[in-house]
Amino acid sequence: MDRNQISKWLKNPGKMAHKYSFHVVYFCTGCGIIEIPPSITTRWDAERFGIIPVATPRQANLFLITGYVSTKTLKAIIRTYEQMPEPKYTVAFGSCPINGGMYYDSYNTITSLDKYIPVDGYIAGCMPRPEAVFIGVTHLWKLIDMDKADGYKRYREDYVHYRANQEQLYGQMDWPPLFPVEKKEQANL
Amino acid sequence: MRELELYYGPQHLGMVGNFSITLQVEGDRIVKASANPGYLHRGFEKLMEQRTWMQNFPLVCRINVVEPDHMELIYAMGVEKLAGIEVPERGKYVRSIYCEMARVASHLFGAWAYANMLGFDTVAHWAMYHRDLLLDMFEELTGARVYHIYLRPGGVRRDFPDGFTDRLVETLHKIGGKVPDYNATFFENSLFRKRAECVGIVNREEALRMGAVGHTLKATGMAYDIRKIEPYDAYDQIDFDIHTREKGDAYSRLLAIRDEMIESVHMIFKLIDKMPAQGEVCTKTPNPFKWTIPAGDAYVRCESSRGELGLYMVSDGGSKPYRVHFNTPSYNHGLTVLEKALEGESISDVGNIMISLYVVAPEIDR
Amino acid sequence: MVSLKEKLLSDFEGLKIDDREADRLFIDTQKEAVLSLLSYLKKAGYNHLAMVSCTDWIDEGKFELVYIVNAYLSGDQVFGKKEKKCIVIRTKISRQSARFMTVMEIFENAEPYEREMHEMFGIDFEGHPRLTPLMLERDYKIPPFRKDFDTLNYVNNTFGKIPSIEQRKEGLK
Repeated sequence: MDRNQISKWLKNPGKMAHKYSFHVVYFCTGCGIIEIPPSITTRWDAERFGIIPVATPRQANLFLITGYVSTKTLKAIIRTYEQMPEPKYTVAFGSCPINGGMYYDSYNTITSLDKYIPVDGYIAGCMPRPEAVFIGVTHLWKLIDMDKADGYKRYREDYVHYRANQEQLYGQMDWPPLFPVEKKEQANL
Repeated sequence: MRELELYYGPQHLGMVGNFSITLQVEGDRIVKASANPGYLHRGFEKLMEQRTWMQNFPLVCRINVVEPDHMELIYAMGVEKLAGIEVPERGKYVRSIYCEMARVASHLFGAWAYANMLGFDTVAHWAMYHRDLLLDMFEELTGARVYHIYLRPGGVRRDFPDGFTDRLVETLHKIGGKVPDYNATFFENSLFRKRAECVGIVNREEALRMGAVGHTLKATGMAYDIRKIEPYDAYDQIDFDIHTREKGDAYSRLLAIRDEMIESVHMIFKLIDKMPAQGEVCTKTPNPFKWTIPAGDAYVRCESSRGELGLYMVSDGGSKPYRVHFNTPSYNHGLTVLEKALEGESISDVGNIMISLYVVAPEIDR
Repeated sequence: MVSLKEKLLSDFEGLKIDDREADRLFIDTQKEAVLSLLSYLKKAGYNHLAMVSCTDWIDEGKFELVYIVNAYLSGDQVFGKKEKKCIVIRTKISRQSARFMTVMEIFENAEPYEREMHEMFGIDFEGHPRLTPLMLERDYKIPPFRKDFDTLNYVNNTFGKIPSIEQRKEGLK
């Protein structure tokens, strides 16, 4: 470990701890997942960056949205995201979650993911190479240091808006809201 | 005992890919399974009707993430058949070598998935590393690791670089030298045999009835292989065997995959030996912006790493396809065979059986 | 030896057979004859239904159902040198009342294909045990694979209409 980092550790040990131990949800949401097995095995070895996949969202703090998001998957993504404990970070792969990418006219893929859940960072490329994934993650470290990776805070703050967007897409949702919705609405009005 | 409904996937450790199965369980036994695909549905066949013949190549390879190359091949074959384009001799060999490389890479990915699922992490790491070596060869040839977009109607995008075949042979020898280690730690490991033998049995009669293809059928003793029955590209120029197994369980399916992988490596050596040293690799095609293809319909098929891959394509004489429909092997395996194979098995074997059938979810959903 | 084409022409009425292409036999038939034709071909050795497909000919007002059968051969086994390897059966049904019979009694693996046709084209297959949604989550007024379904329009009207979080916040203030 770098000696300069000791002061950082002492200042905010919790932040440093979760920053260097990203537990990724095991959820293959799209085609970018094909580069995750090479990244976590011997050749690229994601564990040197502290990235390790875990089985359940209850133990995870990093969610990799690997590529395009179909409407059926988005429901599963929202549920998985809401199950993750805070602090949690989301990184999306490729251009498809930004604006639809090459599926801009597909009737079954949503065009921008950050209308439904907050996204902390995007990695360019189709597929992003393992190096790009690591660059994305190291950049996320910087954002965490600067308190800019605040997706989960935004989700809590603006939950009423996120929920409204989700309901506009799906109609009535079949699970209860994560945070109280009515109170917030009254406060805003 | 009370029957319960269990949702298996899409976010589940035992699930490979974005796929879900609804299981009716009684204790640990599965009474009934119903597959629930569609998590990766992008409506490719509709999107392809809105893009020109050449624009569809970037779309078509994204149908199957594990092995995009056979998807490119089948689409290129369909366009060639409709437009009446011939592939030059050297182009055929380059295509066949490229497709066999893809088959080996895809099977190594399958070995990774299977080993990882059953907890053989050492083997999983090896398989992924060896696949990466092959991806490096793909990268040298095409410039991309996963989606290569190397084939085009009439041949391939460009010829092999200088010394490529030597480096390819070297890489394949490196991978092939590890086969005894794979056998000792994985394929003939008694732990693995106990886990995979007599699990998910699909006998020949059932397999034929349910329309199984590829290694699922080869594991029951049927040597059904499009490369033999209806040779395309350079496959009629070389000798090769089709390896079959008799029992039809998960273990014989995996051994069928292993034998096919080893045979593919030998095929690449034979193809490199027989390949013409000089010559064109691509026929000239018209300007892609103004390219129209005469009206008609065609059904073409090839052997992907999971079995027979078909494409039914209709042209109305315009600059875009009128209708494209892919018949992917995972479609049958994942929706019909899987449901039957899971009945009566235990919950812990769901992932095991699913990977042994080599179900690739994006291929089902398209 | 009588070829399959001649046998088919003598046993069935109203078939249009195109055998110009090597290894393929294209048969156009009336919709009533499809089931008997498929079971006839199954007995003749074409025991594998490769796929069921559908084309929307919107100008004619017809759906064209396509059944592709081939034979399970083994290795170098030759299936009569003169016979074709794949048979493509095409039949047209009305687009307004799109209904047809299921072929599941003859080929069991037609089930997911027909389910998909039901979902994507809105064709009802009589006798099919579960015509439940397969791929799609949302309801579409027009089944999406029909030619009159405009995808870009649909995307702009659904996903495009959803405001971003910033817009929502401003709207509430």
